Amino acid sequence: QPPGKPEMIRCRSPEKETFTCWWKPGSDGGLPTNYTLLYTKEREESYHECPDYVTGGPNSCYFDQKHTSVWTIYNMTVKATNALGSNISTPYYVDVAYIVEPNPPVNLTLEWVGQAYASYLLLKWVPPPRADVRSGWLTLEYELRIRPKEEPEWDNIFVGLGTKYQLFRLNPGIKYVAQVRCRSDRGEWSQWSSESHFQVPKEF
Amino acid sequence: LGDLFDRAVRLSHYIHSLSSEMFNEFDERYAQGRGFIAKAINSCHTSSLTTPEDKEQAQQIHHEDLLNVVLSVLRSWNDPLLHLVSEVQRIKEAPDTILWKAMEIEEQNKRLLEGMEKIVGRVHPGDLGNEVYSTWSGLPSLQLADEDSRLFAFYNLLHCFRRDSHKIDNYLKLLKCRLIHDSNC
Ligand code: NA
Ligand code: NA
Ligand code: NA
Repeated sequence: QPPGKPEMIRCRSPEKETFTCWWKPGSDGGLPTNYTLLYTKEREESYHECPDYVTGGPNSCYFDQKHTSVWTIYNMTVKATNALGSNISTPYYVDVAYIVEPNPPVNLTLEWVGQAYASYLLLKWVPPPRADVRSGWLTLEYELRIRPKEEPEWDNIFVGLGTKYQLFRLNPGIKYVAQVRCRSDRGEWSQWSSESHFQVPKEF
Repeated sequence: LGDLFDRAVRLSHYIHSLSSEMFNEFDERYAQGRGFIAKAINSCHTSSLTTPEDKEQAQQIHHEDLLNVVLSVLRSWNDPLLHLVSEVQRIKEAPDTILWKAMEIEEQNKRLLEGMEKIVGRVHPGDLGNEVYSTWSGLPSLQLADEDSRLFAFYNLLHCFRRDSHKIDNYLKLLKCRLIHDSNC
């Protein structure tokens, strides 16, 4: 039988410069099935085929910088074809401005700063490598979470624009675990960074 | 100039946050399942203004021209935002939060335009920006008797303003990094 109807699932841009979209294949009817993604952009009349089916993995289309515009609605459909016929997905509309989900920040370091009047833990991190924050193309906000190593409950701290945070009132002698994540322009939060560990001195 | 840019970017960031929230609230409450997004293609009154659409274009445009782009887009919203405030009060069961946001956005957009005129006056004195802007003729559509058509007109206006306020915020952040921080933010 002809293939089932494919369905566009989601699109993601890690840095507002490129993006990838994924679809879910329908049933293949037991036959080899070929997928074609066609799209048109706001202010353009013509349809184009997906420029790169390879980079994003199976059932995906990758749009490099040359094929990526922001503040522009893309209208996409996926067509599944086998020897007995074809089936086409419901149109999917997406604007790269609203699908930015950065990669997680990196190099989260935890450093104890012991001073006479107040001791604290200094947490510092670096924006995700591919995000261009230097030019201002992306502006990232950060959130931290921290917990004692032996307890399940995270304590979340919204940081805002900075890339460091001073944490007071930690318990002496306890091991802590921390992670950080980021988002751009109220978009999706990134995954959490890898965990960093720290043991607070027994006395301070 | 650094202070002026700090203030402008804080305002543009705030306006974009409000416009995103307002669009999302409206979308969830009135637009579900109506297929408005497909109809919203090629429908913004500001689409006749040429604006950078990716990082490369934004970096190639001269900063004076990018400042003028920001001024033109801001000026193009004076009139529609004013009408949005009065017409949104007539939407059936419009929540106070949408009304409040419309009023706040109209007010803050005027403040941002004033701030940008100061910045442009400092960056290239004498040239107070061309008076280019796009005129809006969408008022009758906000007053249509047919509810579906009227709701689409609101949806479209909020969609276009969310987009333009995001552009303005993004361009201002680029300009700030370029002019104040020597492209090393
Ligand atoms: Na591009
Ligand atoms: Na995520
Ligand atoms: Na936007």
